[in-house]
Amino acid sequence: MTRRILFNLFAWSIVLAVAFPLFWMVVTSIKPQFELFRRPPTILPETVTFEHYWRLLKETNFLIYFRNSVVLSVATTVTVVSIATLGAYSLVRFRYRGRESLAFLVLFTYLLPSVVLIIPLYLMLVTLGLANSILSLVIAYTTFALPYALWLLRSFMAGIPEDLESAALVDGASRLGAFWDVILPQLLPGIISTALFTFILSWNEYLFALVLINSDSARPLTTGVMNMLVSSFNIEWSLLMAASVMMSVPLIIVFAFLQSYLTRGFGAGGVKG
Amino acid sequence: MADVVFSNVQKTFGTFTAVRDLDLTIRSGEFVSLLGPSGCGKTTTLRMLAGLEFPTGGTISIDGKVVNDTAPGKRDIAMVFQSYALYPHMTVAKNIAYPLKKRGVPAAERDQMVAKAAEMLQLTPLLNRKPGQLSGGQQQRVALGRALVRDPKVFLLDEPLSNLDAKLRGYMRAELVELHARLGRTMVYVTHDQLEAMTMSDRIAIMLNGDLQQFAPPQEVYRFPANRFVAGFIGTPSMNLIDGELTRAGSGWRFCAASLDVPVGPLNDMAQPGPACLGMRPESLSLGAGEQMAKVLLVEQTGHENIVTLQFAGQIRLTARTTAAQDLQMGADVAFAIDTSALHVFGPGETGPRLNRLLENKSSETDGQT
Amino acid sequence: MSRPNTATPLERRYAMLGVILIAPTILVFCAVIVYPLFSAIYLSLFQIFTPTLQGSFVGLENYQRLFQRSEFWISLRNTLVWTIGTLTLQILLGVAMALVLHQNLWFRSLARSLILFPYFVSTVVAVLVWRWLFNDLYGILNHLMISVGLIDWPLDFLGSSPNAMISVILVGAWKYFPFVVIAVLARLQTIPEPLYEAAKIDGAGPIARFFDITLPQLREVLVVIILLRAIWDFKEFDLIFLLTGGGPLITTQTLPLLVYKEAFALNQMGMASAYAVVMMAIMLVFMVVYVLKTRNKDESR
Repeated sequence: MTRRILFNLFAWSIVLAVAFPLFWMVVTSIKPQFELFRRPPTILPETVTFEHYWRLLKETNFLIYFRNSVVLSVATTVTVVSIATLGAYSLVRFRYRGRESLAFLVLFTYLLPSVVLIIPLYLMLVTLGLANSILSLVIAYTTFALPYALWLLRSFMAGIPEDLESAALVDGASRLGAFWDVILPQLLPGIISTALFTFILSWNEYLFALVLINSDSARPLTTGVMNMLVSSFNIEWSLLMAASVMMSVPLIIVFAFLQSYLTRGFGAGGVKG
Repeated sequence: MADVVFSNVQKTFGTFTAVRDLDLTIRSGEFVSLLGPSGCGKTTTLRMLAGLEFPTGGTISIDGKVVNDTAPGKRDIAMVFQSYALYPHMTVAKNIAYPLKKRGVPAAERDQMVAKAAEMLQLTPLLNRKPGQLSGGQQQRVALGRALVRDPKVFLLDEPLSNLDAKLRGYMRAELVELHARLGRTMVYVTHDQLEAMTMSDRIAIMLNGDLQQFAPPQEVYRFPANRFVAGFIGTPSMNLIDGELTRAGSGWRFCAASLDVPVGPLNDMAQPGPACLGMRPESLSLGAGEQMAKVLLVEQTGHENIVTLQFAGQIRLTARTTAAQDLQMGADVAFAIDTSALHVFGPGETGPRLNRLLENKSSETDGQT
Repeated sequence: MSRPNTATPLERRYAMLGVILIAPTILVFCAVIVYPLFSAIYLSLFQIFTPTLQGSFVGLENYQRLFQRSEFWISLRNTLVWTIGTLTLQILLGVAMALVLHQNLWFRSLARSLILFPYFVSTVVAVLVWRWLFNDLYGILNHLMISVGLIDWPLDFLGSSPNAMISVILVGAWKYFPFVVIAVLARLQTIPEPLYEAAKIDGAGPIARFFDITLPQLREVLVVIILLRAIWDFKEFDLIFLLTGGGPLITTQTLPLLVYKEAFALNQMGMASAYAVVMMAIMLVFMVVYVLKTRNKDESR
């Protein structure tokens, strides 16, 4: 019994150490400015204040960035997941020349570094006159999100018994009818998983946003918040920590309610043991 | 009228041949089993009939119409899968109704037909459950219900009983036979279990490595196996097969292996002196008296009879059936006699052909090659 | 796999449908991945000034100059130091944590969530938090280390060498080790319990059981994780760029940062493309190994 208690104490102290930076982020964001510079620092805030959150929403462009990030991530997710669902169905359940090679091209691009693609993409989007728009980021984000979503959905699709589709065909459905009636409902957990991953990837993306956007009206949260750090005279850590917390809100929601979909995606995404 | 005709059907996957030159005519209303060890091509044959695999050669027709280019849903067939393939997100009622819905049957009529099928299979209390909440046997009945609800021309059943426990399997065998009698529809049944094939079928098509070995009624397959493979595959315990030499003896033939030397009666034209195989069913050996001696290696008691393994002439092992009353000690020597009127002779090789003259004509008439 | 010409019309109709369904994917792939990829190789043969996009063909000159520049070699060395350093920590920490979480821990799912969070949190958030923790005047890390007597004077975590590289490696390990935890944990849960029972009966202690059963069972998945994480760490941009910007001087400048700097700060797109192509060529080794490994597994199923 004592061994168990000791083990638990040991394990939990590591877990808490790992989680400490995030705890510190929340604590800093609700401390008044003067308490921040107290020595020694207070672990729990003496006075709790939400003034930084209020200022963030009132005095900065945070809400615009937030809106841009939502639009951008939703648009990327919807586009990528729809294309990838059809593509994965085709890759797993149809036979045609070049199918295998295509599947491995997908895997290959899933590992491709963004910095290789960013220069030609930048040139392409400037030529098309799309630079500095949310649309340009949606296009750029498909470069990493589509291979990722395809690869994930492909292995979810492969997990659906082929007999189900066969049964639907014999029962009188067409291929697309069987897809709609039988495969799509079975794939739903996989689609949710993939959509969550795609959303988080888009939400967190930095490099493309840095290169392709230089106006506040189209800037997403990642570069927007970073700008707040760079552009101010004296760094207001409380404000930045409040922004960090707010920026993590979608993630916290996913973690609280949909975490099983995230771990499921892990299993499907190339690290099957 | 729903004949199913396979004519010179081929199926290759890359360099692997799954089905070779298959000619098979299934008569309307017949219950036919496709029987063979795994990988013999029986499931591929069934899936080609269903339209789920595409033949690389030959034609398949149902009711006189070639269906090679007909989508599965338009072939007027129903299929029961080994995995049952029930739609997990639909209730039992919706599962059974699905084929009707896909064929545009109006909702009211649909409900009626589902209710009727459910009643026939005692599924009425389960109609609102999801497949995940059902036992294996219940799932099996739902799969059957989904096939029955529509009265198709041909029923295809792919090892439907293999996931059930032994007791339920016996019960469902009887149910299926009764169902077939009541509906009078053509049924094609794939199985690797010879007991299922023997007890249920009008005729059995036995396959090995993509080749049809014999197509005949169960009794004929048992009594006059077309070749050595069929002889060894059908019957439990399986037929004793002894390799030896065939020699002429006047107008007849003799078979010798070790100290065994028996007359085998008249053989057909394929018979040649040289290596051959002698087959005898365990029941054609009688223990206790006779001119041959063997050592008892093993006695297995099944209750109403004993299965006895004998060692004969040093290296030949024989299986015999005796009544449970006959008392035999392991290790003891026992005299036995061979019923020479019930011997089978096959040519050399895994599928060495039957060489007996008896009923040779009859089996070629019914083997479906016509 | 080649199809025989004997395909039936039905089979051909199905194949056609399959091609139609994959068509959007192929279209998008060609537009945003395949075309830019070849374009990058093409651009690397030019000298292009970013703001005007005016360029002239220089052939392989960019490559010639690239290999003569010490900055390239320094960046490559930095990339290797960063990748090997952070990857090693990720694997060690990850496997250890997975073993701990596999035990019967109080509030195990809460512990798992807390461990998982850094992996999913935005790099921007992670960097902001760590820069605050690293702050030389008011950062809690300096305060803690001084109060336990580890150091006498506040450390400059990000502004001096080699501290900057060590800090970046540590933050990288913190951010990415949860990936290893989850992947290893999933594999641990599939090791059949009878294996351990049999070993216990044979007299193996906990340490022997780890080396004789757990580790061999994890081998396969660890190889995949190491390959995957090596590729991802090698191409990491956000974390390093945001933490140090490659500094002080270029002591933490890895190849992706070099590409970015060349293209968008020094405005030499052609040269930047050449760097990118070379970087990809180096990564190709790992990528091919990973793809082949996955393909083999796919086929054996």
